[in-house]
Amino acid sequence: MTLSVTPIAGKLMGIIEIIIGACLMVLSVVFYGITFQFPKQTLAFSPKVFPRFVSTCLFIISAILVIQGIMAFRKRSPDEHAKLAIDKAFLTRLLFGILIGYTYTQLLPITGYIVATPPFIAGIMIIFNEKRWIRTGLCALITTSVLYILFRIIFKVPLPRFSLF
Amino acid sequence: MTPILEGFLYVLHPLHFPFLAVGVTLGIIVGALPGLTASVGIILLLPFVFYLDVSTAMVMLCGAFCGGIYGGSITAILISTPGTPSAAATVLDGYPLAQKGEAGKAIGVATIASTSGGIISTFCLMFFAPKLARIALEFGPEEYFALTVFGLTVIASVAGKSLTKGLISGFFGLLIATVGIDPVEGYARYSFGIPNLMAGFSLLPVLIGLFAISQIFVQMEMVGKKVKKYDQKIGRILPSASELKKLFFIIISSSFLGTFIGIIPGTGGAIASFLAYNEAKRWAKDPDSFGKGNIAGIAAPEAANNGTTGGAMVPLLTLGIPGDVVTAVMLGCLLLIGVRPGPLLFKESPEVVNAVFAGLLLANVLILFLGVLSVRIFPKVLRIPPSILFPIIFTLCFLGAFSLSNSTYDMFIALVFGIIGYIMQKNGFPAAPVVLGVILGPIAEDVLARALIISHGDWTTLFKSPISIFFYVISTASVIYSLRRQFVAKKA
Repeated sequence: MTLSVTPIAGKLMGIIEIIIGACLMVLSVVFYGITFQFPKQTLAFSPKVFPRFVSTCLFIISAILVIQGIMAFRKRSPDEHAKLAIDKAFLTRLLFGILIGYTYTQLLPITGYIVATPPFIAGIMIIFNEKRWIRTGLCALITTSVLYILFRIIFKVPLPRFSLF
Repeated sequence: MTPILEGFLYVLHPLHFPFLAVGVTLGIIVGALPGLTASVGIILLLPFVFYLDVSTAMVMLCGAFCGGIYGGSITAILISTPGTPSAAATVLDGYPLAQKGEAGKAIGVATIASTSGGIISTFCLMFFAPKLARIALEFGPEEYFALTVFGLTVIASVAGKSLTKGLISGFFGLLIATVGIDPVEGYARYSFGIPNLMAGFSLLPVLIGLFAISQIFVQMEMVGKKVKKYDQKIGRILPSASELKKLFFIIISSSFLGTFIGIIPGTGGAIASFLAYNEAKRWAKDPDSFGKGNIAGIAAPEAANNGTTGGAMVPLLTLGIPGDVVTAVMLGCLLLIGVRPGPLLFKESPEVVNAVFAGLLLANVLILFLGVLSVRIFPKVLRIPPSILFPIIFTLCFLGAFSLSNSTYDMFIALVFGIIGYIMQKNGFPAAPVVLGVILGPIAEDVLARALIISHGDWTTLFKSPISIFFYVISTASVIYSLRRQFVAKKA
């Protein structure tokens, strides 16, 4: 189902466009700058041509985005102050979701799939407001087992194994 | 034996057909499930299709593609929320009919129309694709470069509401594609001595991150919000013979319209379904009944959006240029399983092409059976709590990213692109151009390098061929169209 995110609009969007545009301009300058370290041209086409072309285009379009952001920021009437209504509960969920995901990627090579996956699933279930502990535990264990059978046994797809080194 | 018959025999083989059935079923379920799209369904299948032979993998992915587009109509009818953007027009009459207690009939009409649209468009694909591929075989590196420019521009200019943001997404994808070994001299660009970066960003984690993990983050925003559920009766499923007779012309004409729209890169099912809906309403004897549960208002968009499946496969298979977001994902998946779409595919691997033709036809027949048989199960599927569904999807995403090269680094990359994808969605940047940039970037650089090396560095060689000029002209036209659309939208 295409449930879209709450859109950002008005003055706030202008500010965000300025920030994103500026970040991309810096990124394209960095990418362009690094091409000076590339080896000198020996053929009619060198490794620096394409990155320079792309980073220049990205720089120009990002600059246009910044200008559009400034215009959007100025255009609004003074009484139209966009309120930055941060849903703190969502932000916490999002950050914990990313943290749990990151921890999972780091734990997997050490503990292996079978040990790392149930806590990961349980953690994400809690983030999605699951309050029944028995259901969380059972679901984590069953999902881990079913996915193991599906990947490892049926489709012979390798999964990370326990390793101390 | 005719080649297409060989394709049918291949797909109907007991060892291959179950994969098509699984693909279609998974596509329907994912298309119908809250928060998931046909693109996600195709991506989730990838880790499994890696280990299949190319034809079976293609057939399974085509099944998921068709199933996913059809699946979107189920939630559009039952809970007034389109499962995919293509099903947005189906809501207009599907939901009112469901509210009258005739959800079964609405889904039945949608199923019949989708099947007809899919089958007609597959026949068009079988007719047009080999001809277009023969023309494309004449393309040299200059023409291919112009074609990749066209592919990128078209998707970037129509994928989002803002041309600037669409182009930024496309160039961001191209910039990502420059990381790693360059195709001419083998120099490791932007790798900073890190071995993982030398290979560049693998497509699979980028796809998983941008389309699937970002969607999980989006769903985190929905936690605690009331989710619509269908609790009315389903009623009769199949429409009567007289109703089908009335719908015949609408279904056929909408199927052809959808196919035609699908062939044009950058359009997609959403545009086709609304156009077909408007046409059906315009030619109807009772236009006032549209929007109040008229079955023609379900048949027209559904025939058209499934009509785009075969249509969108024409530029994808023959030129390697996707027609819309889902086919952009399909293109990525095909490259990952070792299929390089383009005219050479028809010459070098005709068995794969025939399996795709047969697979698409049979997938649509399966949709008819599965759709009608499982109408009463759909409301139950929609009751799966997000707290169970999304943790499973998240795990599948990570395992899918890992399976590519047995590397947790790819899982990390998927997570990073999930965050990037979420930020992009939140701020109106379309994700499809990024994927296209990552896919078409190396191809564009490769053909550009070949063109320049052949011409001893003469850049004017890119503008000498009439075919190249044709592609540059339509690329410019798509940008102008997008600018005009933005201007009109602002004025309104």
